[in-house]
Amino acid sequence: MSKNLPTAGYALYWRIWFLLLILTVIMVFVDQVSLPRLALVWILVLAMLMKASLIAGYFMHLRFEKLTLAVIVGVGILATAAALFLLIAPDGIRILKLSSG
Amino acid sequence: MLKATHDVTQSSWGGGISPFAVGWNKLMMWLFIITDGLLFAGFLASYGFARLSSSQWPDQLEVFHLWFIALMTFILISSSATMATAVRGAERGHRATVLRFLLLTIVGGLVFLGMQAYEWTTLIREGARLYSNPWGVPQFTGYFFLTTGFHGSHVFTGVLILSITAVRWKKGLSSAEGVELTGLYWHFVDLVWVFIFTLFYLI
Repeated sequence: MSKNLPTAGYALYWRIWFLLLILTVIMVFVDQVSLPRLALVWILVLAMLMKASLIAGYFMHLRFEKLTLAVIVGVGILATAAALFLLIAPDGIRILKLSSG
Repeated sequence: MLKATHDVTQSSWGGGISPFAVGWNKLMMWLFIITDGLLFAGFLASYGFARLSSSQWPDQLEVFHLWFIALMTFILISSSATMATAVRGAERGHRATVLRFLLLTIVGGLVFLGMQAYEWTTLIREGARLYSNPWGVPQFTGYFFLTTGFHGSHVFTGVLILSITAVRWKKGLSSAEGVELTGLYWHFVDLVWVFIFTLFYLI
């Protein structure tokens, strides 16, 4: 068990659950109103990363683990996934341009 | 000198005999989660590639029943909260609480799977196939079935692991750390869904 876990009871998890619920409802509402595409994507990605941080940080106790563990998880997944996408994204755009014109 | 060494090993970046300050089994679970996360990262990056290279993409609001998917999300998030409660209960030695919340988590997982089966059946009845669909972009359903199918299989595996953990806990065979490792896997399944829900159903 994580050494730095606060001694508070179960309430912490249900507060996080409520925050996740609110974020989900906001995301679904935002998706159904007519916002500019770029603004919509930014809002949704931001909310997605907030939800992911809450789950990893509090439910998975990463916030209370040693910083080195949080870093290998963060870099291991997020940075590698971002690098993977950024490496193939230009080709996707190139294919779109070739096929449309 | 000794004090200096002690300060280094105790710092965030210190090594020592346990550089991550967790037991080997928890470290292995985290490494598994990283590799499994990269599997889904590959799927989603590839899906992003398909979106960028397609001049058109079906409007998700017309294909999916968004509030139904939001309800699935709600159930998975709730099951993560019950799982976290079970993990905390195990740490505190509250045996009955652990069992009760493990069972609630299993129910959440089963309901999610049932809803996913219903969603898949509805789409298949509307003509969705792995390589074709009525919405004009064949790869749309290819990515949909592949990504949600892999996630669903993770949920199914999670329900099995949860059931085994619950039985072992009832018999007094599982430790608090065993429950925590099961919890890490279950939260990971929830975490992946956060990305799938946003990138596949909303954006």
